[in-house]
Amino acid sequence: MSELSLEIISPAKQVFSGEIKSITVPGTKGRFQVLKNHAPIISTFEIGLIKVDLTDKTRYFATAGGTIEVLNNKVLILADSIESSDEIDLERAVKAKERAEKRLQEKSKDIDVERAQAALARALNRIRIKETYNG
Amino acid sequence: MATLRDIKQRIKGVKSTQQITKAMKMVAAAKLRRATEAILNARPYARKIQTLLSHLASDDDLISNPLFITRDVKKVAVVVVTADRGLCGAFNTNIIREATRYINEELQAQNISHSLFCLGKKGSDYFSKRNYNVVQKYPGIFSSLNYSIAQRLSDQLIAGFMNGEFDKVILIFNEFKSIIQQKIVVEQFLPIPIEGNTKKEIHAEANYIYEPDQKAIFEYLIPKHLKAQLWRVLLESNAAEFAARMTAMDNATTNAKELIRTLNLKYNKERQAAITKEILEIVSGANALKAS
Repeated sequence: MSELSLEIISPAKQVFSGEIKSITVPGTKGRFQVLKNHAPIISTFEIGLIKVDLTDKTRYFATAGGTIEVLNNKVLILADSIESSDEIDLERAVKAKERAEKRLQEKSKDIDVERAQAALARALNRIRIKETYNG
Repeated sequence: MATLRDIKQRIKGVKSTQQITKAMKMVAAAKLRRATEAILNARPYARKIQTLLSHLASDDDLISNPLFITRDVKKVAVVVVTADRGLCGAFNTNIIREATRYINEELQAQNISHSLFCLGKKGSDYFSKRNYNVVQKYPGIFSSLNYSIAQRLSDQLIAGFMNGEFDKVILIFNEFKSIIQQKIVVEQFLPIPIEGNTKKEIHAEANYIYEPDQKAIFEYLIPKHLKAQLWRVLLESNAAEFAARMTAMDNATTNAKELIRTLNLKYNKERQAAITKEILEIVSGANALKAS
């Protein structure tokens, strides 16, 4: 009997590869969970939390968005950036948050508001996941 | 005729050169390890995103996306990836030769104009000194290679392609095959080359659910795909450069060793000759005294 297998890949490296029980991703049209024998799906996902249930434990990942493909019990996550909760550099995230906040406050013409907001969202996501799941 | 002192000086010189080449080899080896790791880590993403895209792209209506459409080629953007620094064997020479050949034979021979994008200092220097249309130079990117360069460049290339500055984008770079082998690759970047039709079957069979919808995902993935490809190309070239430098420096070290060996031999021969000559002089002097 084939299990559900998962591969998480970011441009920097292969983050995870192995058998899992289920995975939950922050899909663009809402959070959803993938269990065994899920119908084929291709979806994008947003900044948020990816929860992976293994047989003996649960792992949490902070992601900045990407795509998920499910086909024949193979889940493929292509993330723009993704970190497991124990890998998150809290200090760096806090600094990124402060930087983004400062940029948004200054409101000078030469800043890209959208980019600063995205950076802020990413930093907040990291901080939240780090503090919630890696206390 | 070289005196003993000259030879000694020479040996000293070669020895210090050997030390430098040896050190450079070690440095290149260490950097190569990191660069190989980076490229091995980046390859799966680049490959998977391509597969995913081809799963999505099989519908004919999506082939109408401008980034996929082949146009009449009048202007071609050529992206040449060289190293920032020399002393890496024929690495830069080969890539520059291939780029020149491509521009002269495949473009100018058919009256197609070119715009050059030079990545790496060596190529930038070479082409801007000669009569080429260099649009943009990115010298010195390899000392701190990061994703934003791939991002900037691909945005620029996509924009140029979309507004008709060029009809085709070609990448010329060294691919990292193994430590002793680099392969020069000429690859089409835009319009995005469409893979064979084998993927269509999977697509039809699988009947994917799309969220939010096929078109949106497709359009979301294309720029990511292009960036990933460019990023891979940069890493390939980077790893290939260190591999080439390591081999070149290894050869140089071996050559220096051989040179030192012959020089030592020469030195000892000279020394022996000098001693023999001296003894001969003394003996003949003594003999002359005895005879008198």
